[in-house]
Amino acid sequence: MTIPTKRFRVRIDELRSSLAHIKGLEVSIGKIVEEWEEPEGPTPFPSVTDLRDWDFKLLRRYRPLYIPFCDLCCLCTFGKCDLSRNKRGACGLDIATQQSRIVLLACCIGAATHTSHARELVEELIKKYGRDVPMDLGTGIRVEAPHMRLVCGIKPKTLGDLEAALDYIESQIVQMLAAIHTGQEGSNLDFESKVFHIGMLDHVAMEIADIAQIIALGFPKGDPEAPLVDLGIGTIDLTKPVILCIGHNVIPSTAIIDYLERTGLSDSVQVCGLCCTAHDMTRYNKRARIIGPISWQLRFIRTGIPDVIVLDEQCIRTDIPSEAKKIGAVVISTSTKNCLGFPDKTHEDPDVIVDELVNGKIPGALILDHEKVGEVAVKAALKLAPKRVKFKSLPNVDEVIKYSKMCRKCRECERACPNNLPISQALSKAAQGDLSELAKLYDYCIACTRCEKACPVGIPIFSLISKASERKMKEEVFKIRAGRGPIQDVEIRNVGRDIVLGTIPGVIAFVGCANYAEGGRELVEMCEEFLRRNYIVVASGCAAMTIAMYRNEEGKTLYEEYPGEFNAGCLVNVGSCVANSHISGAVIKIANIFARRALRANYKEIADYILNRVGAVGIAWGAMSQKAAAIAAGFWRLGVPVIVGPHGSKYRRMLLGRKDRDEDWYVYDARTGEKVYVGPVPEHLFYAAETKEEAMVMAAKLCMRPNDTPKGRAIKLTHYIDLYRKFFGTLPPDLHLFVRTEADIPITVKEEVLKFLKERGWKERPTPLEPTLLEELVKRRVSA
Amino acid sequence: MSVEPWQKAEIAGPIKAVPIKDPKALATIIKKYKKPIIIVGHLISKVEGMDLVEYIIDLAKTIDADVVVTNTLIRKFHERGFKRATYMPALEIIDRLRDPLWRGIHGDGNYDLAIFIGFQYYYEWLLLSSLKHFAYERLDTISLGPYFQPNAKWTVPTLPLNTWYKYLTDLKDSLTKSLRCKPREKNV
Repeated sequence: MTIPTKRFRVRIDELRSSLAHIKGLEVSIGKIVEEWEEPEGPTPFPSVTDLRDWDFKLLRRYRPLYIPFCDLCCLCTFGKCDLSRNKRGACGLDIATQQSRIVLLACCIGAATHTSHARELVEELIKKYGRDVPMDLGTGIRVEAPHMRLVCGIKPKTLGDLEAALDYIESQIVQMLAAIHTGQEGSNLDFESKVFHIGMLDHVAMEIADIAQIIALGFPKGDPEAPLVDLGIGTIDLTKPVILCIGHNVIPSTAIIDYLERTGLSDSVQVCGLCCTAHDMTRYNKRARIIGPISWQLRFIRTGIPDVIVLDEQCIRTDIPSEAKKIGAVVISTSTKNCLGFPDKTHEDPDVIVDELVNGKIPGALILDHEKVGEVAVKAALKLAPKRVKFKSLPNVDEVIKYSKMCRKCRECERACPNNLPISQALSKAAQGDLSELAKLYDYCIACTRCEKACPVGIPIFSLISKASERKMKEEVFKIRAGRGPIQDVEIRNVGRDIVLGTIPGVIAFVGCANYAEGGRELVEMCEEFLRRNYIVVASGCAAMTIAMYRNEEGKTLYEEYPGEFNAGCLVNVGSCVANSHISGAVIKIANIFARRALRANYKEIADYILNRVGAVGIAWGAMSQKAAAIAAGFWRLGVPVIVGPHGSKYRRMLLGRKDRDEDWYVYDARTGEKVYVGPVPEHLFYAAETKEEAMVMAAKLCMRPNDTPKGRAIKLTHYIDLYRKFFGTLPPDLHLFVRTEADIPITVKEEVLKFLKERGWKERPTPLEPTLLEELVKRRVSA
Repeated sequence: MSVEPWQKAEIAGPIKAVPIKDPKALATIIKKYKKPIIIVGHLISKVEGMDLVEYIIDLAKTIDADVVVTNTLIRKFHERGFKRATYMPALEIIDRLRDPLWRGIHGDGNYDLAIFIGFQYYYEWLLLSSLKHFAYERLDTISLGPYFQPNAKWTVPTLPLNTWYKYLTDLKDSLTKSLRCKPREKNV
């Protein structure tokens, strides 16, 4: 692999000449390679094939299960090819390969989105603060960029150093996209390997994005006591003009906050956000408010509260301009990726833009100068708010009843609803003046408004649901811990041993979007279950917001109830989507900081370590986007299993192990070279659960690893048995596969388990001292 | 009685289910199979107008089928003494069913018919899609839920709940009568 910035490199250990005495010089064209005492590992800036053998080891154990979402391929002018039942298309592709190809396409979109976000942030921050902003993530964080170190083999020292890794990622994304073209890759497993590759790169890109904004914008630096900030529609001060920011790129929002501070208007205007931009706004300034996750976009806009809506990038509803028009709000678009057909006002005088927006002369403005966005948004909000009082309400109850009476009971709304909600029944009751059934839908509705588009008589169904739930919305006043960013090295040192030996039962990460099949409460219930069981619980993105949206009997959210350290029984909010890289970064750091495995360009060894020793599982219960697919793929290549909710089945491919195939579950003991059966741990790599109970039991099971000590395995089995019994009423039927010796059996159920094991003909089996899938580690170890 | 996908945009490809409007006809189809399995999703717990656990136990006994329950309802099957029901997550049973070498839940051979009931529409849609493409040579599928499922081989058409309950009852009655008169080879 040629590295974008290092096409030619010379290393001189020592050179004496009549002119000079040179020692330890390393030079490459375009860049001086930084000094780093750690020797470079085998795969710096890996190409897709450099780690293919590792991918194939994973794919031999975790075989893809394809659940095709479409029987056809319609990407070329051969037309629609019928791929059903193993027919091949005009280009020769079969349906399995087509599914893996689409998975790769989704992951490329996801990784490109994060990379583009990272690039924009780095460029913008360099422009504002210079290339030399030091890579200072606080005194507790010395391994500042675990992904960059691991994948690229470079250790960034300044903001400017992040660009080399971005160059590399962009070149790889182009290659992966090229592989999707008709008549390129023809093997489903090679597509899957490329999916893993793009996932790995995605985590590097996310890491770059987040550490860039942390070091340049003063976000919390791995602070377990990051402030508790406000979340919910009810936290908005309705007496002030309201600016709503939606998206993921925080730069325009920071410009608004800065402008307010510069002009002394911070107390006069309310700034709030939706989706990941909101997370990052509160990391920048704790006065900002989070409205909620992605599915709160229309909920909030239809209340009429926002005066100005500022859009940046990613996960933004594309109908925001028309929704804003209905409530008389104005829209400013700030990203080249999301121009929305608006006139480009980047070089226009701010007061002229404000006048055009406020007086409806333009439908919205594209402004690519973020400083100008700050000024225009604030001035427009101040001018517009007094004129918009009449818009700040939902339909009244009489209107709800009137609309409900229009319903023909055709159920087209239900046929369009992703969650098949009983909308007709609720409208029927509402027509009689009873809005309670409509209000019940609020908790389960993901606010996609497909129901409205399907309604043949044009009932604004979602607005009616919102009106019926108005009280509930106003009571949305919660606390969330602001995203703290990375996990500190000292925290890793404190818990690394317990995670690897299994005495902390696992790390459960709740990540992803808000496409929940049965409402967000399920996510909170799962989160609380694992917190009570002393798992380390980590959260990010929309999932982290959902977790904040329910209170216990004392009126506290889980963030108020549980500390924010990376430790057993604690709840860590790392931050926005791009902060997911700190979750995977933490598992990498366990291998590096606790186990002292070399990090630099040493991907396979670290991933092998994580797969066999670090009991971490991701749960993306409402995963929706292509970014979520790419994030999951990055976890897979590292050997971290991911569970998605039922809607996640639409990612169309799972990676499942087969516990009934003993031959799949052998590893090497690196100390002896022997092959040892370790049982199905972890059993799956990617899995869509049907119910929350299934997900919880599966998560507890997937935390088991070959390296667990007897004590650690007993703790993990305690939770697996207890959760299984709680939901299914018996001992887990596959329990014998996870008990290696009697010492693994939890003492509280020892007799019962021994009886069960006897019935199964169970026998004790050896446990490897150093489990690995990598032959090269055996050789190294044995020869040593 | 609709014979198009319940979720309108979930349009299958060229191969789509045959809706069976007459429960007697479905009974005739089912009894041709030697080794059926019934796969039960979590939504049957939300059905209020009929005791579907009891129904499935009776149906399984009638057609001599193994039962996989993919959720916590397994407790109810066991509480009612039906030990032949096994818990297995939905994706795992699909993964097994596509494997021609798999020997079934009890190790006595793979199945030739999988009957689905009680799943979220989209989730079942995808489970059936996998079997449609990757197990079609050995395994046929029936969707017994109240919605037309295009990726099954045969499906109940979309029905109002009360009509669906009657459909299910008529189906079991037909099976009971016909299998009593002429037991399947396996039941002899």
